[in-house]
Amino acid sequence: MDDQNQSQPQIEITIDAPNDTEQPHREPLIIIRRSSSLILTKFHGGHFRISLSLCSQALLWKTLGDPIDDAHAFQRVLSMLPSNAFLFLWSLAFFTLISQSLLYILRCFFRFEMVKNEFFHHVGVNYLFAPWISWLLLLQSSRLIAPTTIYYQVFWCASVLPIVVLDVKIYGQWFTKGPWLLSTMANPASQLSVIGNFVGARAAAQMGWRECALFLFSLGMTHYLVLFVTLYQRLSGSSSLPVMLRPVFFLFIATPSIASLAWESIAGNFDVSSKMLFFLALFLFMSLVCRPALFKRSMRKFNVAWWAYPFPLTVLALAATKYVQEVRGAKAHALMLLLSAVSVLASLALIIITALTSNNIFSQNSQEHSA
Amino acid sequence: MENGTHLGSAWQDSPEVPSLIKHISSNDVAGFDDMTSLTKDQCQTSESESHSPSNDGDETEPIYHRQRVHSVSISMPQSPVAVHLQNTRRVLFSSDTIFEDGIPDASVVSGAACGEPPKHHSQPIRTAAAYNEAIGGGQFSYHQSIRRLKDKRYDSFKTWSGRLERQITLLRGKSPPESKTEDEKVPNREVEKNLPVHRYFDALEGPELDTLKASEEMVLPDDKTWPFLLRYPISSFGICLGVSSQSIMWKALATSAPAKFLHISLRVNLVLWCISIALIATVASIYLLKMVIYFEAVRREYYHPIRINFFFAPWISLLFLALGLPPSVANNLPPALWYVLMTPIFCLELKIYGQWMSGGQRRLSKVANPSNHLSVVGNFVGALLGASMGLKEGPIFFFSVGLAHYMVLFVTLYQRLPTNETLPKELHPVFFLFVAAPSVASMAWAKIQGTFDYGSRIAYFIALFLYFSLAVRLNFFRGFKFSLAWWAYTFPMTGAAIATIRYSNEVRNVITQAMSVILSAAATLTVTGLLITTILHAFVLRDLFPNDMAIAVSDQKPIPQKKWFHLRHGSSDSKDIEQYLKFAGSDGKDLEASLKHQNY
Repeated sequence: MDDQNQSQPQIEITIDAPNDTEQPHREPLIIIRRSSSLILTKFHGGHFRISLSLCSQALLWKTLGDPIDDAHAFQRVLSMLPSNAFLFLWSLAFFTLISQSLLYILRCFFRFEMVKNEFFHHVGVNYLFAPWISWLLLLQSSRLIAPTTIYYQVFWCASVLPIVVLDVKIYGQWFTKGPWLLSTMANPASQLSVIGNFVGARAAAQMGWRECALFLFSLGMTHYLVLFVTLYQRLSGSSSLPVMLRPVFFLFIATPSIASLAWESIAGNFDVSSKMLFFLALFLFMSLVCRPALFKRSMRKFNVAWWAYPFPLTVLALAATKYVQEVRGAKAHALMLLLSAVSVLASLALIIITALTSNNIFSQNSQEHSA
Repeated sequence: MENGTHLGSAWQDSPEVPSLIKHISSNDVAGFDDMTSLTKDQCQTSESESHSPSNDGDETEPIYHRQRVHSVSISMPQSPVAVHLQNTRRVLFSSDTIFEDGIPDASVVSGAACGEPPKHHSQPIRTAAAYNEAIGGGQFSYHQSIRRLKDKRYDSFKTWSGRLERQITLLRGKSPPESKTEDEKVPNREVEKNLPVHRYFDALEGPELDTLKASEEMVLPDDKTWPFLLRYPISSFGICLGVSSQSIMWKALATSAPAKFLHISLRVNLVLWCISIALIATVASIYLLKMVIYFEAVRREYYHPIRINFFFAPWISLLFLALGLPPSVANNLPPALWYVLMTPIFCLELKIYGQWMSGGQRRLSKVANPSNHLSVVGNFVGALLGASMGLKEGPIFFFSVGLAHYMVLFVTLYQRLPTNETLPKELHPVFFLFVAAPSVASMAWAKIQGTFDYGSRIAYFIALFLYFSLAVRLNFFRGFKFSLAWWAYTFPMTGAAIATIRYSNEVRNVITQAMSVILSAAATLTVTGLLITTILHAFVLRDLFPNDMAIAVSDQKPIPQKKWFHLRHGSSDSKDIEQYLKFAGSDGKDLEASLKHQNY
């Protein structure tokens, strides 16, 4: 009877197996011998999670390493972090982002059909925001370009413009397009569009362009409200996201953290609204951490979706650093250190695992998972 | 029909049994491969997966169908595949033995339990059913200790006696004399499974999901009054909520400047506060007793989609107690107390909000109901208390969590989604819970910010609007059965009154003062009326604690009985079996198809 027990769920698993790729079935995968073409084929928007995580990690290290007046003892320790380490990380992030962007551009040229399919997929489309977010984060984390220079502004415009264009397309689709229903298509990855707005808002506020910042912030906030409610309602059950993409649930943590950072830049200090957003993120983090069963199935085999973990943890740690600057106290510092440690460890672990299994990312068996 | 994974009937090869039956296998009855290897353990594991829902006092022939019902219906495997994996699986039709041997076999059956040669494979359902019928019916008096067993009907819900019995039976191994204890044990294991949430929706109805549908059956007898503890629901904590919020209101009336013209003394607050303490202590100790003795019942309440929210009620009452602390008793409370009081709320809401977020059975679009406000209000009350104690970050934390989830809940309830099965179709006092969250949130925000600023006012006006829109529909609050949970619905009215008093502190004019008086009077009147009704029900009508059907929901939907009449006489009557299978639900088709392949 036990076999029978297990055989039944096994049958289910094979049917549900998230080996279904992001490409709808009308687009058969043509396997070409040349590995470069293979790479172009296998590369997809979900891989930008890597650059997202690395760029945010660089931003975290920069924030931690920044000298602060009246620094608490902990912070003074952190500011002694070797700047070489930061440089190395920043270069790594830069290199990754550049190569991934180039790959994606090539993919647009040579595999345009696949890009189009990604665009029409309810999960894949959100990862089109990821490169721009990464560029913005990298920009903010660079020590070379100050926010007031023209280069920064040009770069900001170049990154935010595609975000806004995508916003118009996607958000407009939410409330106008007939068969495309938010209630069925909404999934945790949709929060990436909201995150894009918040990151752009923060960068704009740092440049001093307050109105732009407020514009992007309100855009993001409104759609965040709608999305938050929809996602919590889970109208379609757990079916909108394949099991392998469960790590994407961590994006729930990222959105309020980034929102609190954005509001902090706009308002000037970490006021009550930012605190509330930060606490919400903290609660969601604790809630997800207490549910390991949710992620068990997706943790069996390494895939690119695992890179969905470091980014939200890093932005949570970032928000914690800003929180600590406002609320000085041993407990707050302890919290910040804990969160930073968790994010650094997660990123390191993933870098190591990726390096060890680097074949798998572009191997034949890798699951295409922006879907 | 419920999925057949639960039930196993293991059939032993026997000439009387048509090969058809032989091939029908159960899905996951562990250890049913081999008759010789059958031990009590296996029976018990199979029992734990199998299930006998019936325990009704229906004594006569329906018993047969009932037994048949349970065994057959549940034994239908979910997929034809199961049928083919049959070398190690066997189907046991309890009814077969019963039919063949007639009534008197019931005792043999129940006695046989596990490990008797061919016909008497431990058929968990059968034995349980027989046992239950034996008890309920009184007809099967050949069972010697039947009188003694009468009280053991509730053993399935008992904590310690059940476990003890199980250990004893395990130790002793299988033997017919043990059948009594084993029978007792059988219902234990059956009810200890987690009930999926849709069972509650299917079997119960009513705005508080506490009335059993006519077609459903219970695992506890419905003709007798159950032990008091089993009838004591968690919603009794609603009384504590109602009374302790009253004490806060009278404290506010006595101490706030705009209400000074009423000349209310603080003694009212003191008296009410002491009463609340006594009430909380009593209710809590009774419920604690219930938890110790009938843990299964508590578990079932925990899985009930509406009752789960009342698990916040004790902690919220304690928070109210702290808020309503008379100045004569103490002026300041230690901050550590706040952390202690908020920890259970925090853990509970981690669980519940996580369930909402991760989808699955208990996602919000399915289970949203006005009682969920109780899980959100706790955050605001905690924030209010923390802010009045002088804490800074903690209250903001809980306020933000409460606000975010309140928004989600509010939108969901307003939507009245079609997937939502728990919303009452007509107005019911539970709707007053809508008023609770915004009024407490406004007070909490005012305390956090220091003044009754715009945010608080917005929340307060929302609360006021909701209150009025319910008050003008008072006509429609009719025709409901009184229940103790109604006490929980009074605290929003009291909360709105307190918020009005605070608001009139800020905006002092005749209108606000009049409103505070009116709302306080309304709250007091409601509580008084409720008190009278409660006393009436308790001492005159004596039905304050009716049989709590919400916890006695069976695991599986019962099969309509009339189909069963033909099946009484024919283990060889395959046609009828097929006939039955046709009606057995969606699984029947599969089974039918698979049966057609069978060689019989």
